[in-house]
Amino acid sequence: MENGFIILFGLTMLYLSATSRLIAHVKTIIIQGILLFLICSTAFYHLPWYTIAFLTIETLLVKAILIPLFLNKVLKKTHSNRDTDANIAHFYCLLISSIILFGGFMLSVIEIPSLSMINPFCFGIALAVIIISLWLITIKHKILSNVIEFITMENGIFLLSLSVAKEMPMLVNIGVLLDVFIAIYILGLFVSEINTELGDMEVAHLSDLKDCEYND
Amino acid sequence: MINLVLLTPIVLCIIMFFAKNKNLNNLLINIYAILHLITGLGYFLKPLQLFNNQYFSLNSSNIVFYLILSVIFIAVSIYNCGYSKNLTFSDKKMMHYSVMLLLFVLSMTGSILSNNLGLAWIFIEGTTLASAYLIYFNKTKHSIEAAWKYVFICSIGIALAFVGIILLTVAEGNLNSLNYSDLLNNAESFNHFWLNVSFVFILFGIGTKMGLAPVHFWLPDAHAEAPSPISALLSATLLNCAFLVILNIYKVVVAANCFAYAKIVLFVMGFLSLFITAVFLYHTTNYKRMLAYSSIENMGILAIATALGGIAYYALIIHIIGHSLIKASYFLSSGNILELFETKRIKSTRGLIDVDKKTAWLWIVSFLGICAFPPSLLFISEFLTVKAMLIQKHYILCVLFLFLLTIILYSMAKTVIKMVFGEKSEEKFEIAKKNISKITFSMYAPQIILLTFAFVLGIYMPEVIDIIIKNTFVG
Repeated sequence: MENGFIILFGLTMLYLSATSRLIAHVKTIIIQGILLFLICSTAFYHLPWYTIAFLTIETLLVKAILIPLFLNKVLKKTHSNRDTDANIAHFYCLLISSIILFGGFMLSVIEIPSLSMINPFCFGIALAVIIISLWLITIKHKILSNVIEFITMENGIFLLSLSVAKEMPMLVNIGVLLDVFIAIYILGLFVSEINTELGDMEVAHLSDLKDCEYND
Repeated sequence: MINLVLLTPIVLCIIMFFAKNKNLNNLLINIYAILHLITGLGYFLKPLQLFNNQYFSLNSSNIVFYLILSVIFIAVSIYNCGYSKNLTFSDKKMMHYSVMLLLFVLSMTGSILSNNLGLAWIFIEGTTLASAYLIYFNKTKHSIEAAWKYVFICSIGIALAFVGIILLTVAEGNLNSLNYSDLLNNAESFNHFWLNVSFVFILFGIGTKMGLAPVHFWLPDAHAEAPSPISALLSATLLNCAFLVILNIYKVVVAANCFAYAKIVLFVMGFLSLFITAVFLYHTTNYKRMLAYSSIENMGILAIATALGGIAYYALIIHIIGHSLIKASYFLSSGNILELFETKRIKSTRGLIDVDKKTAWLWIVSFLGICAFPPSLLFISEFLTVKAMLIQKHYILCVLFLFLLTIILYSMAKTVIKMVFGEKSEEKFEIAKKNISKITFSMYAPQIILLTFAFVLGIYMPEVIDIIIKNTFVG
C-alpha cells in the first residue's frame, strides 16, 4: 500500500508543474503532507514506536496543517494569485517533469547491489521530486512559488531520509528541523517583509545588487 | 568548560532581552568574548576532560578554528563598542542586534565544537537563522535583497548537505553513527561509490555556506550589505566553520582511500573560485564587494590546498589563520570608511589619506596582508601551496594559480591606491571631515592588533602554535 502513496506523492509534482494558480500549489502541499503522513504510518514499522509517533504527528501537524496555513495567510496578505510568467510554457514544464519522474521510477526498478541498504522505490521517487523542485525553482518568477518549490524539495528530502532502511532517528529528527526552519523563518518573516518593502513578490525586483554601478 | 561556553550566551541573551540597555549589551558581549578566549586558552592546561562531553569536544583538530573564532570575536566586540555608539536605532532594535550577534557566535561555536556531523549541520543551519537578521539589520531595500538571497541559497545548500548526510549513512553500511571518530575509524569499510556521491553533496551544500564557486552567489551581496562588524564575522569565522565540516568529511574520504574523485571536485571548485574572483574583482565598483570577492578567492585557495595534501595541509591551516586575521581587519577598516564617506562606492571614496591617516594606513596594510606581501602569514601559506603544486608536478595548474592571483592582486591594488591616494571630491571630503569624530579609538585598535598578529606570526611562529597547526590533521 505504501508504494501507492509514494507513487501519488510523485504524481503531485506533475500537477505542481502544470498549474500556475498559487492556491492550487498550496493545496498540493497539503496533499503531499497527508501522503507523507500516510507513508510514515504504514511503511516504517522497522523504526521504534516513539519515532513513528513523533514522525507521524510532526508530519501531519507541520507539513499538512501549519505550513499550508502560513502560506495561505501570506497569499491573502500579498494578493498573489498566479505565477504566469514562468520561463517555460506549462506544457514543456509538464513534459520535462514527467521525464524526470520517469527517470526516478526507472532508478527504482533497476537492481543495483549497492542500493541494498535503501528502499529503491522510495529513493527513486524522492530523488525525482528533489530534482523537479530544484528545476521548478529556476524557472518560476514569484518569490512565493520559489518558497513552495523549496517546501516540496524538503518533502522529497524527508522521503529520502525515510528510504534509508535502518534506524537513524537522529537523522530523521534533524530533517524535521528543516520544516520548522522554513515555516518560521522564510514564510513568517521574510516573505511578508519583502512584500512590505518592495510592494510586490516578483523575483525580478530582487536584482538590484550587482557588480556594475548601482546606488547604495 | 564547554557547557559554560555554550550556555552563557543564552543566559546573556535573556538578560539583554529584559534590560534593553545599549551599554549593558556591549558589556555582556565583551564579557562573553573574554570567556570564549579564556576557554580556548584553557585547552593548553590540563585536564582535558573538561573539554569533552558526549556531543561536543575541544580537541587537536578543532582548537585552531576555535581560537580564531575567539580572537576575531574579541576584536569585533571591541570594535562594536565604538560602532554601536554611532547607530541611532532604538534600544529594542539594538537589543535584537546584540542578541542575534551572540546567537550567531553561539551557533558558530557549536558547529566547531560538535563531534557529530548531524549536530554540526544543525548549528550551521543555526548560523543562517541568526546571521540573516544581522544582514537585514539596516532594513533597506538592498539589505532585504541580500538577506533573502542569503537565506534562500544557503537553505537550499543546507538541504543538499542533508541529502549528503543521508547518502553517507547509506555508505556506512551497518554502522549507525554520524560521530566523526566513528566515521574515521570505520572509513575503510565504507561503500566507495556512495561515499563519493555523499561527499559531492556535502561539498556543494556546505560549500554554499563557505562561498565556493559556483555556489557563491549570496556572498558578495550579504558581505557588502551587512553592518561591518558582522561582515568581519561572516568572512573571518563563518566561512571557516563551514570549511571545518568539509575538512572533517574529507578526512573520512581520505581514510576510506577513495579521495581521487573528491580531489578533482575540490580542484575544480577551487580554481573556479579564483577565476570568478579574477573576473568580477576587475570591474567591481563597491569596496565591500571587493573584500567579499577576496574571501571567495581565499576559500578557493583553501579548496586547492586541501586537494593537494602533503605539505599543503600545513599551508592550509596557516592560510585559514592569516586570512581570518587580515580579512577581519580589512572589513573593520571598511566600516571606518563607510562611517566617514557614507557610501560604499569606490569612485566616491578617494583621498582617504587626507581624511583619516590611520584608517588609510590600516587599509593599505590590510591590503598588503591579504595580497600575501611578506612577511604576511598568507605569503608563507601561498608559497607552500605553490611548492606543493611543483612537488606534485602540477606545473600547468601552478602557472594558472599564479596568473589568476596576479590578476586579483592587480585589481585590488588598483582600487586600494585609487581610494587612498586618488584625487578627492570636495563634496565627499567635506562629509568625511565632518564624520571623523565618529571614529573612536576602539575602531582602530582591533585592526592594529589583528594585523600585528598576522605579520608577526609570519616572521616568528611560536612552537605551541606550530604544534597545534601540525596536529590539526593528525587529530
